[in-house]
Amino acid sequence: MIAGLPLSFAEPFLLAGLLSLPVLWWLLRVMPPRPRRIEFPPTKLLFDIAPKEETPSRTPWWLTLLRLTAAALVILAAAGPIWNPQVGAAGSSGPLVILLDDGWSAASSWEARIKAADELIAKADNDRRGVALVALSEPARDITLMTGGTARVALRQISPKPYSVERVETLPAIDRFLKATGDCEIAWLTDGVDTGRGTEFLEGLTKTIGERTLTVFEGGTPAPLALAAAENAAAKMTVKVLRPTSGVAAGIVRAVDAKGSPIGEARYAFGAQDRETEAAFDLPVELRNDIARLEIAGERSAGAVQLLDKRWRRRAIGVVSGATSDTAQPLLASTFYLTRALSPFADVRLGDRGAPQQVIAQFLDQKLPMIVAADVGTLSPEIRERLNAWIAQGGVLVRFAGPRLAQADDDLVPVRLRRGGRILGGSLTWEKPQHMASFSADGPFAGLTVPKDITVSRQVLAEPDAGLSTKSWASLEDGTPLVTGEQRGKGVVTLFHVGADMRWSDLPMSGSFVEMLRRIVDMSGYTSTPGAGVAGEAKVEMVAPLRTLDGFGAFGPPPSTAKPMSADYRDRATIEHPPGLYGPAEGPIAVNTLAAADRVASLDTASLRARRATYTNAEPRDLRGILLSSALALFLIDAIVVAMLGAGLAAVVRRWRSAPAALAIALALSLLAAPPSPLRAQGNAPANPPAQGNAQGNTQANPANDEFAQRSVSQTRLAYVVTGNADVDSIVKAGMAGLTLFLAQRTALEAGDPVGVDPSRDELAFFPLIYWPVVPGAPKPSQDTLNRIDAYMKQGGTVLFDTRDAVEAPPGENGASQTPGMLTLRNILSSLDVPELEPVPREHVMTKTFYLMRDFPGRFTTGQTWVETLPREDDDEAEARPAHGGDGVSPIIITSNDLAGAWALRPDGQPMLPMTPGEPRQREFAFRAGVNIVMYTLTGNYKADQVHVPALIERLGQ
Amino acid sequence: MAAETRHTKGEITAVRRADGESRTLAASLPRLVLEARRIAANVIHGLHGRRRAGAGESFWQYRRFVSGEPAQNVDWRRSARDDHLYVREQEWEAAHTIWIWPDRSPSMAFASKGARDSKLERGLIVAFALAELLVSGGERVGIPGLMNPSSSRNVIDKMAQAMLHDDAARLSLPPSFVPSALAEIVVLSDFWSPMPEIRKMLAGLSSSGAHGTLVQIVDPAEETFPYAGRVEFVEPEGGELITAGRAESWANDYVARVALHRDEIRAETNRLDWLFSTHTTSRSAAELLLFLHSGMMVSKAGGRSTVKAGRSA
Repeated sequence: MIAGLPLSFAEPFLLAGLLSLPVLWWLLRVMPPRPRRIEFPPTKLLFDIAPKEETPSRTPWWLTLLRLTAAALVILAAAGPIWNPQVGAAGSSGPLVILLDDGWSAASSWEARIKAADELIAKADNDRRGVALVALSEPARDITLMTGGTARVALRQISPKPYSVERVETLPAIDRFLKATGDCEIAWLTDGVDTGRGTEFLEGLTKTIGERTLTVFEGGTPAPLALAAAENAAAKMTVKVLRPTSGVAAGIVRAVDAKGSPIGEARYAFGAQDRETEAAFDLPVELRNDIARLEIAGERSAGAVQLLDKRWRRRAIGVVSGATSDTAQPLLASTFYLTRALSPFADVRLGDRGAPQQVIAQFLDQKLPMIVAADVGTLSPEIRERLNAWIAQGGVLVRFAGPRLAQADDDLVPVRLRRGGRILGGSLTWEKPQHMASFSADGPFAGLTVPKDITVSRQVLAEPDAGLSTKSWASLEDGTPLVTGEQRGKGVVTLFHVGADMRWSDLPMSGSFVEMLRRIVDMSGYTSTPGAGVAGEAKVEMVAPLRTLDGFGAFGPPPSTAKPMSADYRDRATIEHPPGLYGPAEGPIAVNTLAAADRVASLDTASLRARRATYTNAEPRDLRGILLSSALALFLIDAIVVAMLGAGLAAVVRRWRSAPAALAIALALSLLAAPPSPLRAQGNAPANPPAQGNAQGNTQANPANDEFAQRSVSQTRLAYVVTGNADVDSIVKAGMAGLTLFLAQRTALEAGDPVGVDPSRDELAFFPLIYWPVVPGAPKPSQDTLNRIDAYMKQGGTVLFDTRDAVEAPPGENGASQTPGMLTLRNILSSLDVPELEPVPREHVMTKTFYLMRDFPGRFTTGQTWVETLPREDDDEAEARPAHGGDGVSPIIITSNDLAGAWALRPDGQPMLPMTPGEPRQREFAFRAGVNIVMYTLTGNYKADQVHVPALIERLGQ
Repeated sequence: MAAETRHTKGEITAVRRADGESRTLAASLPRLVLEARRIAANVIHGLHGRRRAGAGESFWQYRRFVSGEPAQNVDWRRSARDDHLYVREQEWEAAHTIWIWPDRSPSMAFASKGARDSKLERGLIVAFALAELLVSGGERVGIPGLMNPSSSRNVIDKMAQAMLHDDAARLSLPPSFVPSALAEIVVLSDFWSPMPEIRKMLAGLSSSGAHGTLVQIVDPAEETFPYAGRVEFVEPEGGELITAGRAESWANDYVARVALHRDEIRAETNRLDWLFSTHTTSRSAAELLLFLHSGMMVSKAGGRSTVKAGRSA
């Protein structure tokens, strides 16, 4: 065993062969390589040249190094190196006593422990020594010497215990055995966790062992982790993760329900020095209530499991209303608001049958932790008595005001009330309804945002006492309390000075109401377990073990040592009460390995005078094969290099450059010869593809773009989107050219040749109108492209989408929007910020920009043309206006009439495509529609004003 | 033996390639016509006007009939113009014999990396092209020890055939023979042979008064010695070895040694009034051919002294 490395040599004296390396080095240095042989006709002349003083040709240092490395590898291989050698106890001849930690903390690394013990037993067996196996969890068992075979069988029968094992208790038995045996050797396979009396055990062990040899196996395995103190807090379920060591670590706690299906996972992370950390499950309370078991992922031990029972469930709340007519209008009843407000985080039990007194009595019988009484008036003294007792035990009583409470008189309110209440904002009062002003900083509502929109029109008023301000948790703008509360014993009494329905205030409708109730519910205890009521007077019953955990944290039948326990057992698990579920199957009580306050400490064995050994997971591995094959590979490389060297070294250097193939072959051969390494087996993770958006966004400033920009701005041009469909693109190109020609003939616009653009690449801002033929089934443009189009539309551009399939529309009400082109267009537009659209109205300015049009036919006439909805003006003048234009131009025009198809001309001036249905002047109208659209995009709402010119002139003439 | 076979194969390939390339090269040059400079009695009629009357086709002069001559010599048409008898004399034309020796020894097969042709290929190309030019100019071309002088139109084929069927040892330098005094000799070789051998060859060839040109064809690598590191150099013919530990440090000495070697050859050729030049295979073959062509034209003009010996091509 070499210090720090799990490496040992079978025949270490052979390593002396390494001393021969310097000699070898000297030999290799002076041996010249074979010269290069060249046929040279004037060789005879060379004989006449005086021979030079020849320095011995030297082998290059790297070649020497290569050979030396190979030689060293051979020598190392001959010495028989073994990785992860088996560690045995010191070579004593006495029997071997193996002390085995088998508490819960040993379970996570049990395999390593068993393996170490197995090896120890095997060694002892080889040396014909007896073995005594001591599981430290069994103080009662007598220790006997066994043969190796028996010990191995006995070892297999030991399994880790699910509870903390106190090692001290086994000391007397060890002591007895050692005294009886005399000389022996002791190996302690510890798990490194101090269960409380660790120091005591160490002292006792030192004393017991005396002069005998002790080997302590520790380290080399991950430290055990444990869970403790699970808590279902207000917002999340938290659990503490404990460990005995330090160092940065992280992991996952998994939550599963009673059937074993996973509910959630929570991460935890240890800082460098932390011994405990917390994992929090931020889950809805309904889910949190279903959690039956928390476990650390990847950790197999009973300590890493936390069983949850009903005590961790959320609370049941009784709601009782004093109103009788609640069921008549259930949506106006106060119980409705309360139920809705409480149900997100609590079980609401409605007491809607029977009188309030009876209901409260039932709730008290059910041991509910919290009762909400909405407008419950006078209570009988008996109930009051029980309520008071219940509150003193931890019950939470929440009351809401109402007409009945205002008339009643009892002491179950936190403050004295002025009977009668007051009405604000009524027809007979001057005061206006009040708003909420503040939450008390000391009260449970501290930190909630104060809702400004809540009005209180009626309330019950408190008598102005000295303690009123401390008891008021929320107050109105005039300083009167809205919510008051008081701690009584372990419980709380709270009063909302308004009703729980909408008659007195709109507080019950607000979100703040839910938050306030949640805060109050958080104050209530977890009760309602049978027998463990708040009243505490029920007899504590005994529950039998149902299912228990084994040492690895798996459920199993309870062992024979498990005994019934009292139902309020809250301590850590012991041998008599192993962790698991106790009691009836439908409502079991959980016992966990660690109690809530337990911590895991590490056992410091430094005070022991002992040999140390480490658990090894790895099998011993003979390194001879690797070394020899690497040496072989090196020799192979050497041979190739020498073969290539042939002659002078300067030439070699040149050859190295000219013959990379030879080098590659040498390399490949060496790789083949070397054993496959696991590192090489790992595939490279695929490189992240470069972000599409970046790739497209970076194409801005280059000469091609500049040229494109110059061409586009030097003349007004119509643009169309190149779809990639050659048929469509050629038609659209011809169509745009035809429209450009028509525009030049009929209007003052002499546009340049139309430009095909790719919206994902080209700058769109240069074009007033972009014609976008929609090809059915076309893929949706990338988000980056859509963003560009969106920006173009927002900055004043107009996109004319043409689905070109009005004839394909199925008949029916909604047929026009069901064509494949429309579906594709819808897909494209789904990510665009498209304004509200409408069919072009008769008075739309687009119908008047150049020609007076009624509709916008193309090759087809049935399609509807859609533009941005114009803002409506309701006044009469607007009705009378013959033209209507919004501010700016509609950023989007959608048609399905195949305008470009109608405009498309062949080079000889004849139309490319026939018209449908083919009325005589349809093509002329299609061109006129195009002219109007182009003029609309160019002039905006100018024409809308122009139509007023006659009227203006007429007015001026007057 | 295997190396021998390989070299033979390489030579065959080189001969075949040179066959084709040399024809195009030869076609690209003007007809190389050597003019007779010296007259020798034993030369065979050829196209070179000897500036004197003799056997030939082109008119030289009319001279008075000398009595005693055969009457058939009288040119009656000229004689009819006046009272004298005239004899029509033709200019004496004589053909040159040019011996071309392309070195085909194993050392010529060397081609460094990046060189387009091996030295052998370059030598053969130039030899064939020169032969083609000379034959079309009316000269007779032969290869010492391999092919007798011939003025056949398909001299390249003949040379190639002769080489392909030659099973004698490949020598670096032409075998010792005695050319006629007025023969031209062109030796294309790398001349890496030891100096004594070169001297001996030159002495043998020039013993009869013949003149010629030595062209040293070298590879760029042989000029610059671009080697570094530990290199073992092998002589391809003799198989001698020498190992340079750091070849880059030998380069300067090598270049100096090559220059010395060339100087020695040049001294020898100057003494004998021969031409010596070097040619690197990285340059174009046409350049060398042009040089040889112009060298022969100059020699026609009669002043060898005007040609700078050892001009590099």
